[in-house]
Amino acid sequence: MKDIREDIAWAKINQDVLKSLENPRKLYWVILFVAIAMLGVALGCEVYQYNVGMGVSNMDNPHMWGLYIASFIFWIGMSHSGTLLSAILHLMHADWRKPIYRFAEAMTTFSLMTAGLFVAVHLGRVWQIYYALPYPNERGAWPNFQSPLLWDAMAIFTYLSSSIIFLYVGMIPDLAICRDRMHEGWRKKLYTLLSLGWEGTDRQWRNFRVTYLTVACFLIPLAVSVHSIVASDFGMSQQPGWHITSFPPYFVAGALYSGCAAIITLFIILRYVFRFEEYMTLPILKKIVRLTFAIAMVWTYLNAVEFASVWYSHDQASKDVLIQKASGTYAPFWWGMIFCGSVVPLTLAFKRIQTNIPVLFAVSLLLNLGMWLERWMIVAPTFSHGIYPWTWDHDQWPSFVQWGMVFGSFGWFTLLFMVFCKVFPSVSMYEVKEMVYHRSQESKRLEETGKFAAAGKGAH
Amino acid sequence: MSQRHLLALYSNFNEAEAVVEELRSTQIKGFDVDKDLIVKSPIEHPEVEEFLGDKPVRVQWFTLGGALMGGLLGFFLISAAQGNFYAQFKGGKPIVPFPPNFVLTYEMFILGGVFITVLGFLICAGLPARRSPLYSANVSEDQIGILVKSDESAANTLKAIFTKHHALEIQEEAGR
Amino acid sequence: MSISNLLENWSKFRHTHPVDDKPHDPYKWAMSIDLDACSGCNACSVACYAENNLPVVGKEKYAHGQVMHWMRIEHYWDEDVGEEGGREFPDQGAQFLPMMCQQCEAAPCETVCPVGATNHTEDGLNSQIYNRCIGSRYCSANCPYKVRYFNWFNYPTTDNVWPAEMVQQLNPDVTVRGKGVMEKCTFCVQRLRAAEVTAKSEGRLVHDGEVQTACQQACPTSAISFGNLVDQESRVHRQWRAQQVELDKDKQAKDDHEEPSELRGYRILENMRPYPSVMYLERVRESAI
Repeated sequence: MKDIREDIAWAKINQDVLKSLENPRKLYWVILFVAIAMLGVALGCEVYQYNVGMGVSNMDNPHMWGLYIASFIFWIGMSHSGTLLSAILHLMHADWRKPIYRFAEAMTTFSLMTAGLFVAVHLGRVWQIYYALPYPNERGAWPNFQSPLLWDAMAIFTYLSSSIIFLYVGMIPDLAICRDRMHEGWRKKLYTLLSLGWEGTDRQWRNFRVTYLTVACFLIPLAVSVHSIVASDFGMSQQPGWHITSFPPYFVAGALYSGCAAIITLFIILRYVFRFEEYMTLPILKKIVRLTFAIAMVWTYLNAVEFASVWYSHDQASKDVLIQKASGTYAPFWWGMIFCGSVVPLTLAFKRIQTNIPVLFAVSLLLNLGMWLERWMIVAPTFSHGIYPWTWDHDQWPSFVQWGMVFGSFGWFTLLFMVFCKVFPSVSMYEVKEMVYHRSQESKRLEETGKFAAAGKGAH
Repeated sequence: MSQRHLLALYSNFNEAEAVVEELRSTQIKGFDVDKDLIVKSPIEHPEVEEFLGDKPVRVQWFTLGGALMGGLLGFFLISAAQGNFYAQFKGGKPIVPFPPNFVLTYEMFILGGVFITVLGFLICAGLPARRSPLYSANVSEDQIGILVKSDESAANTLKAIFTKHHALEIQEEAGR
Repeated sequence: MSISNLLENWSKFRHTHPVDDKPHDPYKWAMSIDLDACSGCNACSVACYAENNLPVVGKEKYAHGQVMHWMRIEHYWDEDVGEEGGREFPDQGAQFLPMMCQQCEAAPCETVCPVGATNHTEDGLNSQIYNRCIGSRYCSANCPYKVRYFNWFNYPTTDNVWPAEMVQQLNPDVTVRGKGVMEKCTFCVQRLRAAEVTAKSEGRLVHDGEVQTACQQACPTSAISFGNLVDQESRVHRQWRAQQVELDKDKQAKDDHEEPSELRGYRILENMRPYPSVMYLERVRESAI
């Protein structure tokens, strides 16, 4: 089976994708309203926490960090697969990414925006957050560049701005299509402005190609460095359960993993809602599913490495944390993480499941649940069983404020994503055309040389 | 002598290529194939670059400059900031410690690279651009456009060439 | 110009601590606590509350772990209760450990603060700048002793933290901290600074015993001694020397010997290399009670 039909007319591609920008159905507004309500819950919690103090989150000494930091890592992690699809696969000339990378990139941008909010929410004095920015000031005071949190701030700023730029630059030709096809109105004005007068001239395309490639080259090491730095927040500390050398690759693998799972979820939703069956085809889904499976196994392996290296070390404190994770207060969540993260993905190895949409939808949600639990299990248990025995006999449970904020973050992400899908084309039209064109040229060439029959069998 | 713009639309790259080949091989007075010809296409298509001949792309130089500038600026900004902050020890580490500064330099290197590359793209591609005199919305759909600028006298010859290669549509306009 | 400043002071900026050439001069404040003398009476803790304007958070928040005791008395029990040859009652094996910020020479909390709100001072303290703190709580996350306390609520405006008449007894030399900042034991820095300034104006150094921390002052058994470690004659210096505990070692030479020794001095979690400034003297008595 082919990734995409090679004889789709280009005009039809435009038509199909632009249809997704038409006025939404009623259900859209209902879901949008629900998302806003969820965001409202988080806003309410934040106002309450802002006014009363961080104590309402139920955090205490020693449980200084909680769900905010865990969700922060979760959302940052989710952003990584957008880059995987758009940059790494671009360099590898895997053209099956073309119909699906746009929404993945949007997901990158929006999950970064969500993650950034968690940093703010976590701070005791969010109104002084600008102290963490390196700007010249009359006090002669600079942030502490030694702190991994500051590297985080820098890395996230770089990543967020680069992803937005990458998303935008890659969208310019499509914005020009929108400009040409839309009726008069605010949309037409918006697209005219954003498409910067793009007309697809040879000069524009030539520079576009080089720019896109260059930025992709930058984004790959950037994405890896971002999550390595997030891992440094923990790896650079002295705490048992955090001070682990394998954390950076482990975090990067976890990031790609949760991101791929999220891509499967959104793929299924968009395919269904916008009737993109022609573009988001099952063979493409199969490819991402296989990719997800591979990354899941990498993640499982790194997890095992972490446990093994702690187990065989002489670091009693770290060992205690591990034992406590598996048998203490957090045990149900820890085993839940192992189940969702390492056992559930095994189902993806079966061919029948690789294209079974309802099952995949459920599996992808479970995988992300597992990855969220993983982040929580990295952050929380270390606090309840640190190096110092005085802190041991004290458990803590996040309050509704923390849970409300986590809940609301999904609303915020949904809100951003839904608005994006209705304002910007969520499938890259020009690149699908390229894919169709190049593939049809390829088949033609094969046909001419008489190899078509032979290659056609083995290809998929 | 007054100028004239012509835009011909073709349904595929082969026809467009044939037109460009013919324009190149025919000597037409008042029309220079290297300067007055623009091909517009709905997709990025390497073959267009081939039949148009080598035209330089200079975005990479922006990238190089931006990345180096970003990295150097990052390192010196951070070190200078540390040197000027109330020089107090933190955790027994040097006041200007290298490992963290390298991490930040790396980020600034990428930041500079990406920003200046995109700036370079806008400059090299001439964006935001004024819309060219003749444009068809079909170009953003599925047709290849060939836009030429010529003297009034050459217009008919050009039109003849366009028609010969099955142009779907020819637009014309008296230019500035 | 910043670059020239940078180049001029390069060697100073590349100086590491505390295992390098430049010891603290003329002051390095340090402490030693004799656990044999400690009776766990909590007077030090109370004195600390009074001296440093610590909020009294109440039972509920105390149980929750949101208590603000900079100086805390930790209880530990031997676990051989009910075993053969073991103790009859757990309290028989009770031990006390007064725990406060160890004023580490290479403090893990300092490097991780994103805004540089906590630093190592010239006189060897681990300082906390309340105004600069944004409340990321990374310092506490990375503190091996968990002796940093966070203002979870806005205590100055909370009922019953300081009832009306109690407000009159707040120490004017110490600020009252608002919500969202981290705080911890300062070695009563307000007293140290006053003594240092007085001594400086009189053209001398602070003598031993001239300045006391609140906890030291309140201790009925004089278990706590405090002073300038640089001063060869100070009680703290003599104690550290007698116990062969050196500030810039992560493993004391005396601990290499296998044979039992009379020396009781040790520092907590020394092997993690924070180089703490507080030396504890091991308990010799069978039980604290």
